[in-house]
Amino acid sequence: MRKETHSVFADYTQSLSTAEGEALSAFFADYSQHNFLHKTEKALMRKDFENALLCYASLGVTLEDALKRLAISNLGSFYARPSLRWFPLDNAAKIYPFSMTHGRMAVYRLSVYLTGNVLPDILQIALSFTIKRFPSFATTVKKGFFWHYLDTSKRRYSLEPELSVPCKPLKVARSGSQSFRVLYYKNRVSIEFFHILADGSGGMVFLKTLMAEYLRLLGIESGEEAGTLDINETPSPRELADAFPMVQQTEKISGFVNRPAVQMSGKLCRQSPCRVLHFKMDAGTLRAAAKRYGATVTSYLLALIFIAGRQATDEQSGTMRVQVPVNMRKFYPSKTLRNFSMYCGIQLPIQEIEDVESVAGEITKQLAEKASRSAMSEMVTAAARIVSSLRFIPLFIKTPAVKLVSGFLSDRLFSTTLSNLGVVHMPPELASHVESMDMVMGPSATNRAACSLVTFGNVAMLSITKSTVDPSFEEALYGLLTADAVMMTVEGTALYED
Amino acid sequence: MKIDITYPERTEKAIHRGRVIRYARGPFLLAAYLCPVFNIYFGGSAWSVVVLWALFMAWTLLLSPDLVEYNRISQTIKTVEYSCVLMILIDIFLSPGWAVDVVFIVLFSALILTAILFFSDFNRQKQNMLPMLLFTAITLAASIIGLTLWKGKAMWPALLAGLLSLALMAACYSVLGRDFLMEFKKRFHTK
Repeated sequence: MRKETHSVFADYTQSLSTAEGEALSAFFADYSQHNFLHKTEKALMRKDFENALLCYASLGVTLEDALKRLAISNLGSFYARPSLRWFPLDNAAKIYPFSMTHGRMAVYRLSVYLTGNVLPDILQIALSFTIKRFPSFATTVKKGFFWHYLDTSKRRYSLEPELSVPCKPLKVARSGSQSFRVLYYKNRVSIEFFHILADGSGGMVFLKTLMAEYLRLLGIESGEEAGTLDINETPSPRELADAFPMVQQTEKISGFVNRPAVQMSGKLCRQSPCRVLHFKMDAGTLRAAAKRYGATVTSYLLALIFIAGRQATDEQSGTMRVQVPVNMRKFYPSKTLRNFSMYCGIQLPIQEIEDVESVAGEITKQLAEKASRSAMSEMVTAAARIVSSLRFIPLFIKTPAVKLVSGFLSDRLFSTTLSNLGVVHMPPELASHVESMDMVMGPSATNRAACSLVTFGNVAMLSITKSTVDPSFEEALYGLLTADAVMMTVEGTALYED
Repeated sequence: MKIDITYPERTEKAIHRGRVIRYARGPFLLAAYLCPVFNIYFGGSAWSVVVLWALFMAWTLLLSPDLVEYNRISQTIKTVEYSCVLMILIDIFLSPGWAVDVVFIVLFSALILTAILFFSDFNRQKQNMLPMLLFTAITLAASIIGLTLWKGKAMWPALLAGLLSLALMAACYSVLGRDFLMEFKKRFHTK
């Protein structure tokens, strides 16, 4: 196959005029000066450029234009300099390496649906150009004596066709392994991140910038706005900073410990997630439905999740608790691309969950209280104190202890999760090439479902990650939404039964 | 509820190590429980200690390997260190009088092997320096202890292992220069 592609490229070069041939030679000479990776990686990256040039030729783009778009200067000095940077983990990320097991890790996925099919040869180049702008993403997880950390990994970051279950654990153990994967399928580009790198907001900036670069390579220029970054700009220290220290420490702290929550019924699948579903809704209709109950979209969806959750469990007593991630950037303006979110737990006694009217008010009240700046600051203070008390304990002692505690607490404290990433904006020139976006939460050990919402344009995409075959929850949620005249199309994976 | 399938058919099966671990956990725990019970019941030398360590080795090296930093240097060192402990346990509980020399010969050989693994792929492996440095430090400490405890005995394997570990540390420092200190800063950070 490799030989075949090579000969196709050789045929292509032979078809060029002398001037074009010289321009191409100069281009690859420039490439050599910008890349000091291991020879195998260097050869693979050169091949990426060859494939992109062939792709441009097939699209009818002139060589001159193609070389301009692929300008080697976009590689910057990233591939030419040795790795020196490293990043201690932020307080939110510290737990993730401990909570990893074989077959389970904290992975989430962000996807963008384009108006046309993805051209992988161009996307690969976009990734090679974009990664240098995100030094904290171009890293690999390492073990220190006291804590894990992220060490810069200079390599060719590769994309893959989508072949497996969404949010499959990443292999981060090998030297220089990627902590995220870029996947493509038809018109969808997905990035699955190990949560150690970034929260949803940071991940979204990476996805949007990658898409902006991909579209630029396809000849669609845009200004630097609406959360995309200029890939040739020097990364700002503020983007790489751990933002948790900027949170005001409080006297009072709030704990992470709580009583276990009611879980939905249904046998946990061996293969998790066993299904991913997307409820594709009209954002305006969803907002209008929420407004009818005097609630925000988040409160409204939480109310529906409580009711659907109640219908999906056989438990008659106990507390149903939904984990809601809270973006700390809204309280402490920060440009960090790393983790800067905490969470709160909205809870209701199962007997009190009856209809939307009866629970929406209570949920709104709890959200205002528990997702407030002071409540979040208390939680951040608690996390900082825990981290500080553990900092001089060697990792080999800390690991089994933290594993035990996190295994005990884990997601048993919650019945499910709702992560609302909010409305995502893109520059108008690019937005017209994007149909929608979604976010998929990685499966958890105990919860049967996890929900997330992303709104792009007029499409609100509610995604449900299932860990049980039992369809009660999603069917109840579907019924509740349609009863409120929120019509939708349902998309998703087939059922993975192993 | 009609669902449009918008994902490809799964052609790549998920890793099933988690499942293997789940199935193996029972027999391993049973063996770990029964061995000491039988050992106490039937008496004799404490062979169950050796078996327990061997079970732990099999578990951590084969069934449930490291999830972070699983590389050729760290795994070689881990295998050597665990094997040395196993040899010492055999020496103490089953067949005394041979392990001291053998352990130092193994440590000496392992240092050479690790150095080859490290310097033959220097650019990539320099990120994996800490396990090697800790290993050289452990070897050095073991050599000093060995030479102090068995003063009268011909301890050339301990002496050689100690000298080699010192040489390896010096080589790392001279090759890496400033990066050597940087590596230390990263590995021992408490932030």
